Amino acid sequence: MKFYPYKRLNRPITLRVTSVSLKLSDGTRDQLETAAYSTQQQAVAFGIAGRTDWVSATVALSATLPPGANVPDAPWSDLCVLAVLTDGETNVRTSANLTLDAEGGRDWSGSLEVFRDDHLCRASLAVYAVGTVDGVRGRSIAETDRNWVIDTVSDEPVRGLQLDVQKASFKKSSREWLQAYADAPWIVDTSARVPTVFVNTDVEGVIDLLDTNGSGVDSKVRDLLVAQMATDVWTAVFHGAIGDLEVEPGGGPVFPTDWQGEVLREMLPDVIPGVHVEEALRQVHRRRTGDSGWVELQTRIHYAAVRRADATRALGFVIRSLEQMNRESEK
Amino acid sequence: MITQPNHVPERLGLLATSAVDPFLTEELLKGEQVHGGIDLAKVVEPFPEDDARWWVEPIRSLVEDAMFEFREDRTRADAWLSPRLHATLRLTRREAADKRLWNHLALAVAPDYVIWRHLSEPTANRPERRVAAERFRGPADRQCFSRLWWAAELFRNGSDYEPVEVACGNQDLIHTVLRSELIDHRPTAQALVRLLKSGQISGGREVNGLSVAINAAGATLTYDVLAPDQPRDPARLREWIAEAESAPPVQRYELPDGPDEDPAPEESVAALTSYFAELFETAPVRGRKNGD
Repeated sequence: MKFYPYKRLNRPITLRVTSVSLKLSDGTRDQLETAAYSTQQQAVAFGIAGRTDWVSATVALSATLPPGANVPDAPWSDLCVLAVLTDGETNVRTSANLTLDAEGGRDWSGSLEVFRDDHLCRASLAVYAVGTVDGVRGRSIAETDRNWVIDTVSDEPVRGLQLDVQKASFKKSSREWLQAYADAPWIVDTSARVPTVFVNTDVEGVIDLLDTNGSGVDSKVRDLLVAQMATDVWTAVFHGAIGDLEVEPGGGPVFPTDWQGEVLREMLPDVIPGVHVEEALRQVHRRRTGDSGWVELQTRIHYAAVRRADATRALGFVIRSLEQMNRESEK
Repeated sequence: MITQPNHVPERLGLLATSAVDPFLTEELLKGEQVHGGIDLAKVVEPFPEDDARWWVEPIRSLVEDAMFEFREDRTRADAWLSPRLHATLRLTRREAADKRLWNHLALAVAPDYVIWRHLSEPTANRPERRVAAERFRGPADRQCFSRLWWAAELFRNGSDYEPVEVACGNQDLIHTVLRSELIDHRPTAQALVRLLKSGQISGGREVNGLSVAINAAGATLTYDVLAPDQPRDPARLREWIAEAESAPPVQRYELPDGPDEDPAPEESVAALTSYFAELFETAPVRGRKNGD
């Protein structure tokens, strides 16, 4: 809970994306279908158009201020509403002023220009209402409570962790570093842009198993395998994110702005239950960098990973199938 | 101290972070022995397009000049190399955010520079001289070359690299502020440089104290409104990048010119400079008595 030394609006701003179009290198525009953005996920995915020749994207926005923003005797003046796009990987900060739709209303709209050269993957979009309060200019009066994810690459508007699964012969891959892992069925690489699982095609049949369709025991085993991989990924990603934390001068650790931040926000409530995620992050960071407590935390991290990976469910289905198989063979 | 690897590639490439470890040996980190380069070349992915920007020679020659010029005082090399590296290796931010490029530069092209610049001085506690692995592959604000490139990108004022020289002349500034989001707002970055240049802030504690105060005030204030920036024209940067094809080597004595972008609006920079100066008056700074 933050406290502010001046009057503010208590409730958050709601933000909607109303259209997205790409400007292509030949000057034409490609209007993206509505599946490119999701209000429920609060995410936009430019990759849905399958284009790599775009130069910039125009994201049209509509923001509704909470009740009280437009009352005549409000304690602020010079109200303006600002959309701000930030990207922690490229240090880009772009802002655009929105305009009031109708005098006396609470709806503001406008658009934001997103340049392809400025982003590697994901940026984060927030809206602020700013005014002059008690003679101080630039006071933030209300903001969106959760940032939208603007994904410049993905073809699906989801905010959570996305995996890249790659198949490769570890022995013969052109990625020679994979050769060191030739006897592993899969490995997880969290240092890439998005976490990647490399599946070793040298393990005979593993691809057939992963590509299994249908409802037989094969598919249950496949789900169990996928759950096992997912557990590995969540664990690796959590450790990667915690190991890379930035620390504000004079303050505690800060949430990474990319997918690592999303992963931490999702897993921390299971790792340190009962406290706010910001506090949980501080505790975990303290335990990792301090003298004690890191070893004890491993069980909780594993627990958080297993839950995310739906391992119990997958195991349950395999056991059920095996029982069925045994029963049928006894007949 | 090591020299360059026997085999230095002709072109920059992409070296995945997961492929780095076998070459980041203890001997290298102590500056005793470097890999031969041949084995490393096998795990490098080439850039998809062939571009004059990926020629290694201009970068190699820059770092060699830096090692010679600043042999007596290596920390001063940052302020010299940062703008010149930026003007030589012309990148979009999207390209610069790819850590594989920086891994390759540090490990394959100029490991000798990384060692020369970052080998620790022996102390009573740690008599052994060593370079932290993050100088080869690490966060953008720690890695040897990416920190210099980003310092130039974030502190240049349009085409003017002079603020970069000022910022990089203060190790505390690039050490603490480069990782913070506040300088993503151009007028804020320029205002910080002005305070440094005028001598209003100087030492590490002062820089720290001020950045904490700016961050704290930023929780309730929106600097984008107090000091608006202009939207950048991406075409200008593209033109500058395209000119890399025909650009001569960067000047060694004069500062080069950056991309022909508009500087941060003067009114905004001036407003923030005086606002930060006020903030700093009241900011708690370790070791400074308030009310002097």
